[in-house]
Amino acid sequence: MSRSGRGKSVGSHELSRRAFLNAGIASLGSTLLLPHLFSNSLHAESSALNPGFRFADVTAQAGIRFRHNNGAYGGKLLPETLGAGCAFLDYDRDGWQDILLVNSSDWPGHKREPKSETNSLALYRNNRNGTFTDVTRSAGLDVEMYGMGVAVGDYDNDGFPDILITCVGQNRLFKNTGKGTFIDVTNASGLAARQAMSTSALWFDFDRDGLLDLFVCNYVRWSPDHDVFCSLDGKRKSYCTPEAYRGETCWLFHNRGNGTFEDITASSGIFDSSSKSLGVAMLDYDRDGWPDLLVTNDTQPNKLYKNQRNGTFKDAAVDAGIAFSTEGRARAGMGVDVGDFDNSGKMGVAITNFHNEMTGLYRASDGGGFADVALQSGVGLASKDKLGFGCVFFDADLDGLLDLAVVNGHIDDTVRNVNGAGYAQPPQLFLNRRRGAFLDVAAELAGGFNQPKVGRGLAYGDFDRDGDQDLLITTNNGPAYLYRNDQSSGNRSIRFRLVGTKSNRDAIGASLKIFYGGSNQSRMVKGGSSYLSQSELPVTFGLGKLDRIDRLVISWPSGVTEEFKNLAAGRTYECVETKGISPEQGF
Amino acid sequence: MLRSPDSKLRAPKTPSRGLFLGLIITLAAVISYSGYITRQISGLRELQNNLVDRNRKDSLQLLRIQNDLNSLGLAMRDMLDNDEPYPLTAWSAQFERVHTDLDDALRREQQLAPMNRTVAQEQYLENSVSQFWDAANRIFVLAGNSRQDEARTQIRISLRARQEAMSTVVSRLLVQNNEGEEQAADRIAQIYGRVQRQVYLFLTATLLAILFTSLYLIRSNRQLFARLATLSEQRSELAQKLISTQESTLRHISRELHDEFGQILTAVGAMLTRAGKHAPEGSALRAELREVCEIAQDSLEKVRSLSQALHPVMLEETGLESTLDWYLPVLERQAGLHVFYEKSGISFPIDGESAIHVYRVVQEALNNVTRHSGVTQAWLRLQFLEDALVVEVEDHGKGFESGVTKQGIGLVAMRERAELLGGDIEFAHPEKGSTGTTVRLRAQRERLVSHG
Repeated sequence: MSRSGRGKSVGSHELSRRAFLNAGIASLGSTLLLPHLFSNSLHAESSALNPGFRFADVTAQAGIRFRHNNGAYGGKLLPETLGAGCAFLDYDRDGWQDILLVNSSDWPGHKREPKSETNSLALYRNNRNGTFTDVTRSAGLDVEMYGMGVAVGDYDNDGFPDILITCVGQNRLFKNTGKGTFIDVTNASGLAARQAMSTSALWFDFDRDGLLDLFVCNYVRWSPDHDVFCSLDGKRKSYCTPEAYRGETCWLFHNRGNGTFEDITASSGIFDSSSKSLGVAMLDYDRDGWPDLLVTNDTQPNKLYKNQRNGTFKDAAVDAGIAFSTEGRARAGMGVDVGDFDNSGKMGVAITNFHNEMTGLYRASDGGGFADVALQSGVGLASKDKLGFGCVFFDADLDGLLDLAVVNGHIDDTVRNVNGAGYAQPPQLFLNRRRGAFLDVAAELAGGFNQPKVGRGLAYGDFDRDGDQDLLITTNNGPAYLYRNDQSSGNRSIRFRLVGTKSNRDAIGASLKIFYGGSNQSRMVKGGSSYLSQSELPVTFGLGKLDRIDRLVISWPSGVTEEFKNLAAGRTYECVETKGISPEQGF
Repeated sequence: MLRSPDSKLRAPKTPSRGLFLGLIITLAAVISYSGYITRQISGLRELQNNLVDRNRKDSLQLLRIQNDLNSLGLAMRDMLDNDEPYPLTAWSAQFERVHTDLDDALRREQQLAPMNRTVAQEQYLENSVSQFWDAANRIFVLAGNSRQDEARTQIRISLRARQEAMSTVVSRLLVQNNEGEEQAADRIAQIYGRVQRQVYLFLTATLLAILFTSLYLIRSNRQLFARLATLSEQRSELAQKLISTQESTLRHISRELHDEFGQILTAVGAMLTRAGKHAPEGSALRAELREVCEIAQDSLEKVRSLSQALHPVMLEETGLESTLDWYLPVLERQAGLHVFYEKSGISFPIDGESAIHVYRVVQEALNNVTRHSGVTQAWLRLQFLEDALVVEVEDHGKGFESGVTKQGIGLVAMRERAELLGGDIEFAHPEKGSTGTTVRLRAQRERLVSHG
């Protein structure tokens, strides 16, 4: 029976049996990891029937009618399989998360009917009542391009987030005017000098000068003119694997502070012509306060660029144990996210890979290395038959532990005819069951969340300001999905929106740590992560049944550290660097 | 004399020594074989650790080196393509990464290098790598000094050639490792073949040892059983001789008592009677003589009774049935046991020799009832069958004590007497589940009438 046959109508008997099996697998992993965790696995089994929250598919209700176009006309061109991304952003600074969906265009000479229809980006403004309005045209974003990913960041520190769209060909930088419109500043910013097949990107302040710099991943050297013929049956053309193409270096652009960028790829040590990068996440793996980068590569070793605090980076992925799989093989790294999922104060890593390769779930060690605990945690086996793309750590049930959401989907729509693996695959939500055990509860979340999809982009954001994080999913050549998170457990949360003054205005790179009753949690304000996507910048901490926290410590990218005490749960706080903290009414 | 004159009945040679020897040989064979196998396995393990595993790990490192060299080749290709907007120095970080990994791989490879690696080979690889990085550094210096074209020329004419040469060396080492693995596989196959042959030999030897030991055991068992049979026969013969001797002695004493003492006492009685007649009527002497005469008569009765008890002369004179007719009332009178006596069938004469054995069996059985059964009634049945006589003595008393396997001399004697009669005897309960005892003697008619 395929999972597609389940959904809302699943019987309670079947539900409990599946939950039991899932719990069994998770308990096996947890037992391997920590032999004394049997009681924990029992706990996981008993409560798997009620994860404490449900998802509601509110896409149509919210007025989101976006459909991705990959331009496929039968030519089986490589980029068709990869797009596209999405983002939660508050472009109008009204405190409500808006939505940006990236689209691709038809290939030159292969315009599909109707010819009048454009395949531009889509910007949806939050109407603050659960619905959105498509403001693409009025915002000046109805521009056709073969878009792939998106990175949102206020690079000019004017308080309004700007948008970089990565493309096949020329990437586009859209500057937010602060008046509800964007202007294309690609040429003026100096980014027009580089063209490639770009994928994920992120804004971060690598030199901590208060200005967001830009990191862009590139996949392979591909252009429609140099497409390679690949075939599974020797006759018909099929999509090529990346081995068929030469790699392409990632780019690092330094923000000069005058609206222009300098390409410092070579001088920063980022340059690597063998890379075939798809995902990037920022982290501070050595906890020196300087942002490092983790880049996932397809069929090439992943890169962990250690920030050497002098404008240069050094790849430390092999030493840190994250370049290869535990078998020493370079996997097909797709999406990536980082998060302190064990509340150890150190950031762990999730990397989605090709099917049969399993998602990598890395726990950080004290020595700065990583250990892949996917198998022990229960994530490994559950993801073995999946081809993962977007992935995010977020506290889905607000219990104080980061959970992991993953969207899956194969790249080849004929795959089911080759080896039985599905093209559309169900997304997964691995609930963190404490002590390193994760349990996929996607089937229990209603809303058709676990219906198979050709998933690509994934982002979280609290669009309805109810204190929990909702999910935005994009699919390849298909619709986008907005899943509203509806809590039923009564768990509470506390949210922080940071505004940098000396630091970059988005406070990207700031780390937050909360303390309560002997426990603590840590987060980082980060751009990028997932796959081609960007989640909201405000930070959410799940608190379970707690109604307040003892302390909040913010370490700003500028080096300033601030501490705030005795903060009530159930609301969002705006923290302005060196200027204090102010609660808002609710979230 | 009980000593057998037959020399064949002397104790046969004990098999223990042979068996002990066989055990020692078997144990020695097992120990030797275990030692041999352990040595072979150690050799195999050593071969695998030192050669196969080491070769495999070395090959992995060589593949890593090859991969690094390949990365360098691709990087040089990109550098020569000159289609990147970056200066050649952009590749220095990439080269540095490969350099670090290559150094690590080479260090590990040197530790794992197989025994057959020559110093010259190691030296050559080391020098090639060293020269490659020297050349690469010079090229990056050239590139750093804005002499990009010159640097590219150096890559084209020198650095690529060095990389290709190193790649060839590594390929050759991989082939060498492969050959080494093939040789090791051959040696392993030889060891397995040798061990397999030894296993067959050991199995054959073990089977032979088991076969010979089994044959030896069978032969020894046969001898033992034969000796047991002889001993049993001797014992039976001895018992029967003892019984015959006993009966002969008893018969002799009985006759002596009856004939000699009986005659004497009869004569004494007659003489005393006559003497009494001579004494005056009513005299004291006459009274005393009468008293003595009565004593003599009483003694005569006792002697006759004892004589009958020791060996009923009636058996020879009037036969078994008459003797039993006489004996049973005596027993009832003496022991208080009432015996219900039944006869069936057409009786046939039984000679004296046989009759005494039947009589003794009945006597012993009834004595047992008297002594052990705790009841005062018993049944005696004589069945004259066409070809046999069956005698049953039954009581409903306590019966045999269960679990008592040691037989008394009386039971043994009854069995021996049955043997002497060419029949059999069985001891059982009267009915299934009841208490009491039935002694059943069955004797062949032809033996009863022709014995002696």
